[in-house]
Amino acid sequence: MIQKQVVVIGGGPAGLSSAIAAAQAGARVTVIDENQRPGGQLFKQIHKFFGSREHYAGRRGIHIGTEMLKEAEALNIEVLLNSVVYGIFEDRTLGVIRDGANLSVRAERVVIATGASENPLVFPGWTLPGVMGAGAAQTMVNLHGVLPGKRCLMVGSGNVGLIVSYQLLQAGADVVAIVEADSKVGGYHVHAEKIRRHGVPILLSHTIREARGKESVEEATLVRLDKNWHPLPGTEQDLQVDFVCLAVGLTPLTELGWMANCRCQSVPGLGGFVLHHNDGMETTVPGIYAAGDCAGVEEASIAMEQGRLAGLSIAESLGLIDRTRSADQRASIQERLKELRRKPAFYDSSADLGNREASTADRASLEPLKVGPGYPTEERFQQGPTAIVECMQEIPCDPCAYVCPRGAISVGRPITKLPHLDTGKCTGCGLCIPGCPGLAIFVVDNTYSPTEALLKLPHEFLPLPKAGEIVEALDRYGRRVTEGRVIKVENPRKFDHTPVVSVVIDKRFSNEVRAVSVRRGRHGR
Amino acid sequence: MKRSAMLRVNEHPILGKRPIRKTVIITVDGNPVEAFEGEPIAAALMAKGIKVFRKTRLRKDPRGVFCAIGQCTDCVMTVDQQPNVRTCITPVKEGMEIRTERG
Repeated sequence: MIQKQVVVIGGGPAGLSSAIAAAQAGARVTVIDENQRPGGQLFKQIHKFFGSREHYAGRRGIHIGTEMLKEAEALNIEVLLNSVVYGIFEDRTLGVIRDGANLSVRAERVVIATGASENPLVFPGWTLPGVMGAGAAQTMVNLHGVLPGKRCLMVGSGNVGLIVSYQLLQAGADVVAIVEADSKVGGYHVHAEKIRRHGVPILLSHTIREARGKESVEEATLVRLDKNWHPLPGTEQDLQVDFVCLAVGLTPLTELGWMANCRCQSVPGLGGFVLHHNDGMETTVPGIYAAGDCAGVEEASIAMEQGRLAGLSIAESLGLIDRTRSADQRASIQERLKELRRKPAFYDSSADLGNREASTADRASLEPLKVGPGYPTEERFQQGPTAIVECMQEIPCDPCAYVCPRGAISVGRPITKLPHLDTGKCTGCGLCIPGCPGLAIFVVDNTYSPTEALLKLPHEFLPLPKAGEIVEALDRYGRRVTEGRVIKVENPRKFDHTPVVSVVIDKRFSNEVRAVSVRRGRHGR
Repeated sequence: MKRSAMLRVNEHPILGKRPIRKTVIITVDGNPVEAFEGEPIAAALMAKGIKVFRKTRLRKDPRGVFCAIGQCTDCVMTVDQQPNVRTCITPVKEGMEIRTERG
């Protein structure tokens, strides 16, 4: 029997945050993880995170993971890898398999941070090789550098479906379509826009009917759905694809909690049965805490806050920190959690600007954008270069408010407020472009020449255009509108791999063009 | 080999160029296959366009990678005579003998 003070099961964002918070207070912490490397799914998250700038937002998941591991190391947190916790027994005794040997580890405090697993979707052909979880494709591409195929059908338009689609494009695959059974996009609007402008159609009220192929996927059939999600006969269409990704939700991994007799409750909005917990993340079994997706499937930013809460509560219960001090810290975390959990809602242009109401309608039109707080006036466009913040949905995100050297962008509280652009202060420098995790900020200069406009656009794809090169200029749906002449490509270190392309186009299209496509192949010639 | 060049992501807009890794030879159903040492077996096979990792016992249906993080066991193969090895989390070693699992 090995005695430990605090054992954290799972070294993902929630587990590492709880370990760090408890260790900072002086606890001796051991993290047990079944993988070869800690970090959970953070190392395949190569996009810039949403959330509050105070807590990693604007940074890519991979970098957050690296930073947390450094922090854990500096705090002397013990990390046992390739070690599977298969059970929790009496008195918080854990059964662990490590290097083929069985260990019993007894802990004064336990954090269950086991995460979640991807849901399958059953349809004829769903077991064919080539049908896989969207997270599986993400792992293969971003961690192992291998594409599962060349042409993908993505099922589901939640943030996972949208983000993985974008990352498949970045790795050089085609995403032929995203199908969504619901009548609106499930994930953040800005994520959807990122892939729409590279020509990926999002087919709402559609699903996959069948995947076919001899030994692996060669073809998929889509079908339209009515508003009750029933297939409409005669609306089938076939797509040539060689892999199908399923992004249809996650299920919390709660088995260890069940085994330890923790109360579990079914919360459909959180992915099914979740570990019930109090404000300090303690489950119904004293000494056992839960954090992250096993306590409800939410965003990584929330998992990290929950981890901090669990770590603090543990330190408090072990008498390592002063109760009043930790109460303050916990209250501010609760406050942030509340903000991060505000439901995304579309900006409603009909509401009074001073007292904005949220509306849930999915808006494709530009009209609400034009009266939004991030959009310059017609007169302002005549005066010179200006940013346009195409952020129309109230989501918890504020890094843009910190990147403008002139303070022209503000978000304020709550963090879900739409960014406000002070066009009097904005000079159109474009430093905000790589600072927006949603890549929703652009610069337009309608005064570039009598007939031409200059656009500054984010471009996270290969090949990068070169100065002087003629490129295709694409609209918000990836359709070619005109051609453009690249005059500059900026990609300094501080942009963190979000290059900004300055391109000159026919002025008539300055409000339509939002992306460029390089005519050379991926690896150039 | 041409196909593998297409499926390997050697240069990436965010991750940059992949570091050079040691190439080793493994066998898949007796055929020699080039792989990178330390990468998951599943990644090495996927890069070669190999998608069928096993056949089910009764209906002989093909199965391949589904979760890629060691949870679902759909990708198990026989590795060095040991059956039911999760190829998505088992690193490649020089000379590994990998067999499509049947049943």
